[in-house]
Amino acid sequence: MAKPQIDPRGPRFGAAITATALAVTIYLGLDASTEAAAFTLLLVLTALFAIGAIFGTSKHPYAWLFKTFVRPRLGAPVELEDAAPPQFAQAVGLFVAGVGVVLHLAGVEYGLVAAAAAAFVASFLNSVFNYCLGCQMYLGLKRLKVIR
Amino acid sequence: MDQTSRLLLVLGVITLAGILGLIWRTTQGRAKLLKSGLQVDLKELGATKNGVSVTAFGERITFLQFSSEFCATCKSTARVFGELESHSSDVLHIEVDITNRLDLANKYNILQTPTTLVLDKRGVVQSRIGGAPKQNTLEEQLGTFVI
Repeated sequence: MAKPQIDPRGPRFGAAITATALAVTIYLGLDASTEAAAFTLLLVLTALFAIGAIFGTSKHPYAWLFKTFVRPRLGAPVELEDAAPPQFAQAVGLFVAGVGVVLHLAGVEYGLVAAAAAAFVASFLNSVFNYCLGCQMYLGLKRLKVIR
Repeated sequence: MDQTSRLLLVLGVITLAGILGLIWRTTQGRAKLLKSGLQVDLKELGATKNGVSVTAFGERITFLQFSSEFCATCKSTARVFGELESHSSDVLHIEVDITNRLDLANKYNILQTPTTLVLDKRGVVQSRIGGAPKQNTLEEQLGTFVI
């Protein structure tokens, strides 16, 4: 059976938006007066990761933005890629952002910022270097028996 | 926290991510010489090619590519090796999905996919390429094996 295919530039475009939002989250999370705003932003990002992780990156709102506004301005992609790796990366993002939400609710100081920074690095690498950290970690996590 | 410190911290995180990316980009896709002299066991590998079991190594060089289910660059890597193979009859490309073959992942110490082992005609590991191979890496590897 053929695996679903996507334009690889779609997830990179989405990762750029995510990275920008996470940078804002870090900035807001560093000050007590704006921490609530940072938490709200992280909640939104966590929900977006959940959409990507559960339904796939092609169902993600960013994918709609990409299809509607970006892709028509670009040429055809050199090649398509499997939809599964970016979806797995979304699940990793969901986990990291979720940890940030939990740490914040538990009252851990800068827990939100630390999680947002970790997620930022991953989405930055994805958008700028086309490096899928989640995909890269998959086999290592499996060997360490973190995932089955 | 004052605005300047916050901006500097955000810039610091961005810089760190940038440095990590640059390190990653320079180390990816390069061949590392291996002197272990590890002999690849085709039976244990259980590789198939176009539905047929692989029972012999390439006459000059074999690229043994390990892939996994969630791998962003495995497909393009396989395509590059496939092209190399179609140009020269003594080059063989084997792709093995190790998603459910952790025995192989442990034996060959595969931490990332794709990882490609470069084998000589007897199937002894000569070098290892982590990530999608760079063009000049492939040319170097092919060059070393000119008879």
